[in-house]
Amino acid sequence: MAEPIEWARLSDQEVVLQAREGREAAYRELIRRYERPIFALIFRMVRDRELAEDLSQETFVKALNAIGSYRPEFKFSSWIFKIANNAAIDHLRRRELDTLSLEGSPHAATPEAMQATALQIGNREESPLEAVEARELGSAIEAAIGRLRPEYRSCILLRHVEGRAYEEIAEILDLPLGTVKTYIHRARNELRQMLAHLKEG
Amino acid sequence: MTPVPGPHLTPDELDAWLAGVLPAPAQEHLAQCPVCRERADMEREVVHLLQAVPLLSPNPGFADRVMARVTVPEPARVPVLAGVRRVLATRGGMAVAAGLAVLLVGSMVGSIAWIVASQTTLVAVGQLLLGQAGHAAWIGVRDIATALVEQPWFASLQALAAHPGRVGIASGVAIAAYLVGLVALRRLLALPTQQVAHAGA
Repeated sequence: MAEPIEWARLSDQEVVLQAREGREAAYRELIRRYERPIFALIFRMVRDRELAEDLSQETFVKALNAIGSYRPEFKFSSWIFKIANNAAIDHLRRRELDTLSLEGSPHAATPEAMQATALQIGNREESPLEAVEARELGSAIEAAIGRLRPEYRSCILLRHVEGRAYEEIAEILDLPLGTVKTYIHRARNELRQMLAHLKEG
Repeated sequence: MTPVPGPHLTPDELDAWLAGVLPAPAQEHLAQCPVCRERADMEREVVHLLQAVPLLSPNPGFADRVMARVTVPEPARVPVLAGVRRVLATRGGMAVAAGLAVLLVGSMVGSIAWIVASQTTLVAVGQLLLGQAGHAAWIGVRDIATALVEQPWFASLQALAAHPGRVGIASGVAIAAYLVGLVALRRLLALPTQQVAHAGA
């Protein structure tokens, strides 16, 4: 009898091979590994929860249905982040977005819609005062990220939120390494200026 | 006032400092240059803020919604070679495969060696089998002949064979019937000589 697979011990490439052999559990493992970073990247790019969910779904459906054409010599993470970033950039090219609100989508028309599209933030042990401060700070950072140019935003999110290496970011965004570095330095510089008021306060 | 050693830090050196891999000469400059120190501290602050942004997750049931739109290949369609590769990937599978290979090759070598060493026995067995087969064939022929002789029409066949003239007439009729049949069959199978009209032609 075949031994049960310990998915957590397998590399992305090994999980992909299992998926290609028709194991549904392998597909679910890939979703489990990447649903949060992909959703977070797309959400911070488009700044609308419902839309981010749709684009994340599209990203996974596209990637998983084309798993046969994935080339294992490249990192799976680079491949799926590339699809996600392209989906977000394509959307942004079609639409100008407003500033982010942690209270919900700026396009929500009713209080219910506002609540439904509000950010789901991971639970943390904090006092009410800390919660308010963290909320204000979080809101300011998210808003500052949202004001960056889309290409700066992709770079800074992949580097400092997702912790990707410069080389991988260059691969994901199809940009020269030097350009990626420049974008990240400029993005940090702009963020520093935008967040200066927090330090003064 | 002590002069500050070396030029101000480049963006790449600031990255190296953030990653904790700044070379010693640049470290020395940073320690003594208030301009670079302030810049580096601000960069670090921005990075810390980015790393502290909340974790975001899609709504529950995301994986199910994705999987509803993904086509998983059926395991039955997976090439046999892939299955073999998977079996060989584990240490146990490899050991079983090696054991089977040794058993197969060993039994083949053993058979060949036994044949070479026991030629006299093989000849004796062959002669015995040949004798048995000849005896069985003779019994079969004898049984068929006995059954024919016991048929009710055998007496009239014997009477016909007793008059050579009747045999000649019967043979002539049989040959004529065969030839007529042959001609009729040939006419039936001959290709039509007239052209066949096709609809729309």
